[in-house]
Parts: sequence; structure tokens; C-alpha cells
Amino acid sequence: MPPFPDAPKPDADVIVIGAGPAGMAASVDLARAGRRVIVLDMQPGPGGQIYRGLEANLAEGAAAGALMTALGPAYAAGADLIRAFRGTESIDFRPGHTVWEVRRDGTVGWLQGTKAGYLRAAHVVLANGAMERPVPFPGWTLPGVMTAGAVQTLLKAGQMKPLGRVAIAGTGPLVFLLADQFRRLGVRPVMLARTDRLRDQIGALPRLRLPAVPSLAKGAGWLARLRLAGIPMARGVTGIEAVGATKVEALRLWRGRQLTEVACDLLVVHDGVVPSIDLAQGAGARIEWNQGLQAWQAATEEDGVMVPAPGASLVDGPCRILMSGDARQIGGAEAAMAHGRHVAAVLLAQGQSASRTRLRKSLLPRRFLEAAFPPGLSASLPTGNTTVCRCEEIDAAGLDGLIRAGAQDIDQIRGLSRCGMGPCQGRHCAVTLARMIAAQTGRAPVPFRARPPVRPLPLAALAALAGRDPRLTEIVSLDDKPVVGVDV
Amino acid sequence: MFASVVPIGHPVTIHFDGRPIPAREGETVAACLMRAGVPAFRRTPVSGGPRLPYCMIGHCFDCLVEIEGQGSQQACLVGVAEGMRIRLQNGAAGVGGGA
Repeated sequence: MPPFPDAPKPDADVIVIGAGPAGMAASVDLARAGRRVIVLDMQPGPGGQIYRGLEANLAEGAAAGALMTALGPAYAAGADLIRAFRGTESIDFRPGHTVWEVRRDGTVGWLQGTKAGYLRAAHVVLANGAMERPVPFPGWTLPGVMTAGAVQTLLKAGQMKPLGRVAIAGTGPLVFLLADQFRRLGVRPVMLARTDRLRDQIGALPRLRLPAVPSLAKGAGWLARLRLAGIPMARGVTGIEAVGATKVEALRLWRGRQLTEVACDLLVVHDGVVPSIDLAQGAGARIEWNQGLQAWQAATEEDGVMVPAPGASLVDGPCRILMSGDARQIGGAEAAMAHGRHVAAVLLAQGQSASRTRLRKSLLPRRFLEAAFPPGLSASLPTGNTTVCRCEEIDAAGLDGLIRAGAQDIDQIRGLSRCGMGPCQGRHCAVTLARMIAAQTGRAPVPFRARPPVRPLPLAALAALAGRDPRLTEIVSLDDKPVVGVDV
Repeated sequence: MFASVVPIGHPVTIHFDGRPIPAREGETVAACLMRAGVPAFRRTPVSGGPRLPYCMIGHCFDCLVEIEGQGSQQACLVGVAEGMRIRLQNGAAGVGGGA
């Protein structure tokens, strides 16, 4: 029996956050088994970033044929899952919803336009995916510098290709895939500057397992076609700079001391992807540094149940949050689907061991890729007047000065400098600042403390919040800090 | 900087700083403005420097614009609508929502 008679009733059995491959796969299996599922996603349609715009492109048929051909079979492969997702009518899909809070008791705060509110479910599946690794280099805030994922979004959902001189810098499969997609659309990059070296790939060979062979062959195919097309390629790039006054005009790249300058109108950068930890961290997850990935991950139990960090929380009781897909562990689309199905099997308490085996197998290729294409653009820490915090325009020298003066707590530096206090809430500077501090202290990087709302929430939306828990609107304490439980 | 791969069939019209821009139904404000080649979505509150979208998936907040008088809207997450009025966001959004 609930401790209070006016406790709000759950809105669903499961709330799934993210309608990418993991979220779609989980919600289809859960809904087909009779569970009431609400799916929230920021974007206007299902698919996540990997299958972004796929539904609309398929609906256009022959008109979008050339685009679909250029995007390739791995993109079109999402069609079956999207169809299954749309075809499962009992799924309550709510696109255009930004989630700004998740609590471990199953409460989820949402924002759509200027409306906001809370929903509740017995379980929450966090399938909010990945983001591209932040890459602070001189000039990275100039108009015309974009991530590979951003340009892919323009391709998939904007149906557009770049014009003029396009330079690509970074590492990882996405770099080759994007360059090959450009090639098919008749766009010839003026430079493909790679940070990885042959010795990275050779060193990664012992990690190669049979399930990785198809993706390896695919990658080799992209590379061979790029070489055939005569696209200029540099390897072992140790540093880059974007040059320009009000927009990018050239890419400078260093290989050791050797400098090359290439004029360009668009500079596409990519340094691999890392899990989005914002929602998990806001929900109180224990955040761990993964040295191999050079990124943070939320701690989870074997089957994906989020592990809360010790300390105060707004709510008590068991953790009702499960993590899935790239948000839990980077693996790409196929692994994310297996991950989504596994989370559903766990929640339905059926056949977890089979789905766990499929998930493990689907994650195997990643071990090779991680070693073969290690972080490059972000490998060395920024210095001097290179921007670290894009929002507040704080450079490395200023932060370095604070660290050397003895400020070695990341939250203290946030308070002193405003680094991480802009609208992106530290998404693009936290890892850099934390690594700068770690370089001094020798301890593992620690992120900013994160409290909800983890995304900007208009005051008008907050004032008219729907679905509030009446228990939490009563003033029961004058402390401004969260307390464990509500019965204080 | 960008050109359509697929012709825009029945465009809707949005306005950026008074300039009419054809948009594809269902696309985001950011995609449409990138195709139109606007030189900046916003000027930063600190240095006044120009910014264009960086990530396009809702993380970087460099695509902030003023939409229908409401400042600090993420152009990469808001869908276009016929007659929508968008302005470059100059610095921080003011009290009352406008830029």
C-alpha cells in the first residue's frame, strides 16, 4: 500500500526514453507482451540519429531514391524496426518531447514546446543514445565547423549535401562512411585528415573476433572506393586548427611538426561517440570513467539496472531505471537493437539468457573498433586561447590558471569561471575540464554535479507543470537540498 | 554551403529576419536555415561572435534562435510551420522570452 493515499497513479507500465534502435526494439517487445508503454523522443519521428528521417525518405519513394542509395543499406535496414514500431498500435509514442528529469522511482519530467509535466511508470528504460565526443581545437566554434553526425542529420533529415570545399578530420568508421556517402552524391572532399595510424589497426588485430569481420569488410570497401576516387587522405594527424574570421576558411593540420593548410568552406570533425550520461546522471547514477573509451558511463548491474550513487536522493526505494543501447554501452545500431530486446526480456522476465548472449555477441565488433580508431582530435588537452566551454567562451589558459592556483574540484571551477553554466549545461566542456584537472591530480576525471532540470526549462512551463506529485508540493523542510524519501 | 538532393515539392515559407525562405514540410528550422545559407543563427552573449549549428541533435545549443518572439529556441528540434517568424538571437534571451 502506498504510504500516502494521494500518491499519483502510474501513467504506464514502462516509459521508454528515446525512439532509436534500442528504444524502438524494447517498446515493441514490451507492448506486444501486453505492457502499457509510453515512448518519449526529442525528434519529430522515430529512428533515433542512426535512422533519422528514414520514415519520411521511404515515404517519398523514387523522389528520394538517389539519397537512399547514397545513404546505403545500413540506413535502409532500419525500415523493418520502424514499421514494427509504428505497427504496434498500443505504443503511446510522444515525439517532440524533451526529457529534463528522471527519478529512480519511475518519475519522468517532460517538455513539449511550452508545456511540461511529469509522468510515472513502474519502470523507465533510458535509451537516449550517444553523442559525439567533444573535440576542442583552435577555431572549433567558427561557423562552418560541424560534427560528422550533424552533417549526416542534414543529409538524412534535410535531404541536402554540402557544396564547395569540404574537409573532413578525425577518426572512426563514421568518417569513412560519411566520405563514401559524399562520394556517391558527387561531393569530393578536398581532404580526409585521419588521426589514426596503421599501427593502431595492427595493434587492434588481437581483439578481432569473427562477428567483427563483416563490419571490417564494409570499412575496407569504403576506404578502397575513397582511394579509387582519389580523395586526398592524410594519416597520423596529431593536431588541427580551423582558420577564419567569421566562418571557417581553411583547415590546418599537423603531423608532428609538419604543417599543411587546406582551404575549405566546411570542416567536418569526428572523434568517435560516447554515451549520453545526462539523464542517468541527473537520476543519480554512479558515473564511472572508462579509461579505454576516454569517456564516462553510468554504472549498471548485469542486466542494465542503473546503479545509484551513494548519497541523498529526492526519492527512495529500489531503482526502477534500466539502461539500454549506446546510452549504456557504445555498440552501434545492431547492438542497440539487441540491447533493447534484452531490456524488454529482463522486464518481462522471459528468456534473458538468450537475449543476453545475443547482446554480448553484438557488442564484440566494438572491441576491435575502439582500439583500431582511438580518440585522436581530443587526445591532447587544449592549451592557450583554445575554447573549452563553447557557451561561456572560456579558454584553456583561464581554466589552467584556476587549476594551477589550487582549484581542483570541478564544481568549484564551475562556480569560479562559469565553465559549464551555459545552455548546454556542460555537455561539451565537462570532459575536457575534468581531464585537465585529472592531469594535475592524477585521479580519474569526475563530471560536474548534475541536478534536474538537466535541460533548460521555460519558467512558464514550470509554473504550469502537469502531473505533479502532491506529496512533493508540500513544504516539509526548509532545507534546499534533496532528502531521502518524502516522509521527513 | 548546402544544396537539396531531393527537390522541395510543396514548400512552406518561413521568415528569417524578414527574409522569406522556402522550407520542406516536416523538417526542422535548423535544416531549413542551413540550406538557405544564413551566415549565423545567433551571436554569443560573451563575445558577440557568430555561431551556426555544430551538433544538430540537441546537445550543443549553438542553433539557438528567436521563434515567434520566444528566445533561446533550439532550431534543430523545432519543426517549421507556414509563416513562422524567426530572428537571429543576439546575445542572451531577454526577460519575457525575446532576444
